Amino acid sequence: MDDEYMNYEEEDENYSLDDDEQEDENYNEAEVDVEQVTSTKSTSQVITKKSLVAAQKESLVRVMELLSVKENQARTLLIYYQWNVDKLLSVYIDQGKDQMFSCAGLTVFDPSLVTSKKTMNCDVCMEDDLPSDVMTRMECGHSFCNDCWKEHFTVRINEGESKRILCMAHKCKAICDEDVVRKLVSPELAEKYDRFLIESYVEDNKMVKWCPSIPHCGSAIRKIEDDDVVEVECSCGLQFCFSCLSESHSPCSCLMWKLWKKKCVDESETVNWITVNTKLCPKCYKPISKQDGCNLMTCKCGQHFCWLCGEATGASHTVQSIAGHSCGRYKDDKVRQMERAKRDLDRYTHYHYRYKAHTDSLKLEDKLRKSILEKAVSNAETKDQLVFKEYSWVIDAVNRLFRSRRILSYSYPFAFYMFGEELFKDEMSDEEREMKKNLFEDQQQQLEGNVEKLSKILEEPFDEYDHEKVVDMKRHLNNLSNAVDNLCKKMYECIENELLGPIQFGIHNIAPYRSKGIEQATEFCAEICQTSDCGSSGSS
Amino acid sequence: MQASRARLFKEYKEVQREKVADPDIQLVCDDTNIFKWTALIKGPSETPYEGGVFQLAFAVPEPYPLQPPQVRFLTKIFHPNVHFKTGEICLDILKNAWSPAWTLQSVCRAIIALMAHPEPDSPLNCDSGNLLRSGDVRGFNSMARMYTRLAAMPKKG
Repeated sequence: MDDEYMNYEEEDENYSLDDDEQEDENYNEAEVDVEQVTSTKSTSQVITKKSLVAAQKESLVRVMELLSVKENQARTLLIYYQWNVDKLLSVYIDQGKDQMFSCAGLTVFDPSLVTSKKTMNCDVCMEDDLPSDVMTRMECGHSFCNDCWKEHFTVRINEGESKRILCMAHKCKAICDEDVVRKLVSPELAEKYDRFLIESYVEDNKMVKWCPSIPHCGSAIRKIEDDDVVEVECSCGLQFCFSCLSESHSPCSCLMWKLWKKKCVDESETVNWITVNTKLCPKCYKPISKQDGCNLMTCKCGQHFCWLCGEATGASHTVQSIAGHSCGRYKDDKVRQMERAKRDLDRYTHYHYRYKAHTDSLKLEDKLRKSILEKAVSNAETKDQLVFKEYSWVIDAVNRLFRSRRILSYSYPFAFYMFGEELFKDEMSDEEREMKKNLFEDQQQQLEGNVEKLSKILEEPFDEYDHEKVVDMKRHLNNLSNAVDNLCKKMYECIENELLGPIQFGIHNIAPYRSKGIEQATEFCAEICQTSDCGSSGSS
Repeated sequence: MQASRARLFKEYKEVQREKVADPDIQLVCDDTNIFKWTALIKGPSETPYEGGVFQLAFAVPEPYPLQPPQVRFLTKIFHPNVHFKTGEICLDILKNAWSPAWTLQSVCRAIIALMAHPEPDSPLNCDSGNLLRSGDVRGFNSMARMYTRLAAMPKKG
């Protein structure tokens, strides 16, 4: 391990010993270039509470203009098609307007259903001879009295079903008109209803997610491109994984991270309860508890599964699709599992110890950053040379340290699952596993050695150093930073090509390595806002 | 008066009027609580439940008819969609397909229809569901008939 590190240092030393200043300038220029490239290629945006309405409006206006429909119809359509305008349009082209409308629960007005009778009956409260002005007819043609509608809306809104309030008639799939709902319910409830409709833009939209900060910062993040797994940084500073909304965890996949977290929480009561009373949905891995009904479970994400064995099934749960289930079959494995349990625990302790050590170091992040900044500032105030005045090199090194330490700490749970039997038991032979494990651990060790070295140099009292010594330290840091960056890159390459690449049943996508750290989402600014801004500036 | 209470009174009146029209269903309201009902339904003919009389218990929730009543069998019944121990019923209209336009009377009709046409693919009673799913109609019929005799018919002599 040390040998490896020495190699790096020597190479780099030879390379940059002669002209320090020039090398520094080049280094800085390179940094600036990368910065510009990444900022223009921002792939995510922050939508604040204020811009949420504008962001939703953007999609609404697009649909309203393309299909020439009213705003409330556009909203119903978009909620049904989960704010995916492209999908909506492709359905429109493939199946036509009527089909698209009826799927979403919108009915085209049918004048034949209008009755001219003076009095009507309400089938819900069973009152007869009601004057037609206390009755409301939805676009689907069903009429009920206003009191019943109001009750119905109130119950649905309070149950959190604002987004799809169906008509009260049996088997009628029509969505109730927004304006009617607003008119009939109390003002407070109308407000709540509107909030649900607005928030649907985030809740139902695959491309937009709430920032998972606690307490919630109020913002949501929108992804511009529908790429695989990414990690983003919200304007509140929280870095998180866009797929599973937990803290950023690359190079662990979401599933690995979820399993690891669950393991780490250990045997608290809550976990016990969850294990005993819930099953994880086979698709989205949310824990689900069963209250009543049959054993065909349907997760919120739409996945059906069998409650008894927890395996995914079709919606119909027919004889065919349930075939192959090991429902009710006793597994001999259970016995062997017990024996393996102890060995597993030892393994877990090994990885967890190392994971914890790095995570604990990370917790001191703020303190170290502050103390280094203090030293740098005091240098800048008291000394004249450029290397003191312009101290971004040390800040860059600090950032590099934390970035790589984070990756390092997450590489332990990654290794735990990658080379364990829980996830990839049948994916590779024992020899293959051993070989890959050695390969990965070599890289891990190299990275670890360099990260520790970087950390040690950063703790030096450089505010007490003279010019020559600080120049030397700067050079050291630059070289080490580059080495660490390269090692991280290599480790990701190894994961991608050697480890996760050959896995057949891949749900293990990981966020790619970004040398400059996790991408910061840019502020969303709606076109509507922009045009109004332009207007005001033009008039002034 | 609460909307649910008013509606239940209407249903009560309706039940009194329809008693003769539908002899298969006998809906009775609790003497002291209009939110508690029981029903006696006749097992549909040409099914293993024929000749049996099954008792149902209704618990009507406060927001009725916006929310469905809770219904369960008090009489033991061997049926794929009825829990063998608790009598709980797996029927879409009692869950997510409920509509306020349904009444207690029409729920009874739906349950009778369910007795005649079980849905073995979403079983609450797996033994019963498995018999039907594996095509053992005869086995299912004889089990169901046995329990009908044991639990849903007056004891002879």
